[in-house]
Amino acid sequence: MKNDNLSVFTKGIIKENPVFVLVLGTCPTIATTTNLIGAFGMGISALLVLLCSNILISLLRKIIPDNVRIPCYIVIIAGFVTIVQMIVHAYFPELYEMLGVYLALITVNCIILGRAEMFASKNSVGKSALDGLGMGLGFTLALCAMAFIREVFGAASFAGVPIAFLENYKIEFLVKAPGGMLVYGLLIALVCVITHGKAPRKKQFSCEGCPSAEHCHSGICANTENKKEDK
Amino acid sequence: MKNSIKSTLVLICVCAFITAALAVTNSITAPIIAKNEEAAANDALLQVLPDGKNFEKLDITTYSLPATVTEAYKAESGGYVLKLETSGYAAGLVIMCGVDAEGKVAGTVILSSGETPSIGGVAADTLAGALVGKDAAGIDGVDTISGATKTTGAYRAAVKDALNAAIILGGGDVDIRTEEEILNDNLSASLPAADGKFTKLFITEVITGIDAIYKADNGKGAVCVVGEQFIALDENYNVITEVDAELASTVKEQAEKALTSTAEDIDLGKYTGLPSALLSAKLTASGNYVLEMRASGYGINGNHYIASGEYIKIRVSMTADGKIIDCLTISQAESKGYGDACADEKFYGQFDGKTQENYGTIDAINGATLTTNGYKTAILRAFESVIILKGGAE
Repeated sequence: MKNDNLSVFTKGIIKENPVFVLVLGTCPTIATTTNLIGAFGMGISALLVLLCSNILISLLRKIIPDNVRIPCYIVIIAGFVTIVQMIVHAYFPELYEMLGVYLALITVNCIILGRAEMFASKNSVGKSALDGLGMGLGFTLALCAMAFIREVFGAASFAGVPIAFLENYKIEFLVKAPGGMLVYGLLIALVCVITHGKAPRKKQFSCEGCPSAEHCHSGICANTENKKEDK
Repeated sequence: MKNSIKSTLVLICVCAFITAALAVTNSITAPIIAKNEEAAANDALLQVLPDGKNFEKLDITTYSLPATVTEAYKAESGGYVLKLETSGYAAGLVIMCGVDAEGKVAGTVILSSGETPSIGGVAADTLAGALVGKDAAGIDGVDTISGATKTTGAYRAAVKDALNAAIILGGGDVDIRTEEEILNDNLSASLPAADGKFTKLFITEVITGIDAIYKADNGKGAVCVVGEQFIALDENYNVITEVDAELASTVKEQAEKALTSTAEDIDLGKYTGLPSALLSAKLTASGNYVLEMRASGYGINGNHYIASGEYIKIRVSMTADGKIIDCLTISQAESKGYGDACADEKFYGQFDGKTQENYGTIDAINGATLTTNGYKTAILRAFESVIILKGGAE
């Protein structure tokens, strides 16, 4: 059982990394990884929202009727996002300026709704909290890895501190969105190599979590063996 | 049915709970956010008035401040910070200016400008440094940045306004009237019957000893400007301002000549070879010509995507032997901030007294070569027209 919990926590970091394996939350990943501080702030904000929403949704999983579950999840997630936003605005105004609209957009971050649907609505509070922590950490680490590469090689600085010897060798393309896509793709490839391609394929985890799964009876979703992963 | 009631209730409960959580968070964070924002706003004020503390925003509508002042803050230490927005030729320059307790410039910073970054933008930075520690008299001594005459002028004027505003806010009195207002005040003082409304007379007669004549709009006389003096005349051209008899008789005689001048239209169809720039012409009883010309400035010759496509209209009066008596820009649609200076008396006034030989010596409008050249060409056509008109009809 203990091992089981550990794997729930660790799977988000590499094996089911939300960014590099599940390919969720692509928009904030590209937008907020131009510098390390912004990426870290974004990751931690998302982690907090993910943790809180996973716990609350898991607590309420037996109370919330199936037909209003999506509105309930959205209200809960949006509420936590706004709380986090207020806290960041009050205590970290610089970070608030830096993240801008992307902070509010955590509400529609697929990772959070995805984990609510895929995991928290079906698992115990403890496991959901661990899942939220793991996924949040995986998200934060992924953003930081990307931001590290983009900031150091693209802007010749580390967390805002200029790196003198790279000053003349900046690859400014990396700071732009296409450069972000390139780094993203390369990191996905790297994670694939690390996991020896054993990370779950999309079809192995997606159907259960897909919000339209119950209306979708064609293709791979009809295949019951694909529906077991998270149970 | 039971199911839908349950669903609704659950959703309402979830919403209520989240709303409560938000309300609690907001009650904690809102004061901190407000404090942070105030501190950020104060930072900008501190930048221009470093030793200021506890800034208090003043209601500027209760004072009569120069029109450029848009916001005013008072520091506990006695200094002021003023936000200024320039208008006119260099419109859109927004400046924060700190004035210390002694009435000297403590610092300035440009919040936004539409200046050319490489010229005006650089000038602004240099000026900001040069102006620190200056008082109203010292500002004029600050060197103009070469290539950025307008920026320098606007900046200096705005900072002067800031110093004046600080004096007024401190309870002092200072003359903030514009040149135009000062002129009108002087005119009104010498001829109160005009109710403060005057129009400058377009002079069509050769007169001596008077610099300008302003007619009362209500017909109750006129005011003549002679050097620094303002001499009023009543409806019958009698001098009512107290001056010595000799001057009074000269002014009466000359002003009456100018004010009673009459002119008749000339039928241009009777002449051949007149330039197309000539729109209409009149001949005064004394034999002077009054011509309306159109000039092709930037509006006609400029980049046709942004130029207005309109001519500059000019009225010019001239003696029969080709000496300009008076010149006036009637209408123009040249580029704002550049060619529109052709409507400024500082420009067209230069043509007064010029002849075909020396009219080219006038100063061009800075940054508006096409406008200046078009204007000059129209004046040349006016000289040519007079020669043809003088030659008589066919």
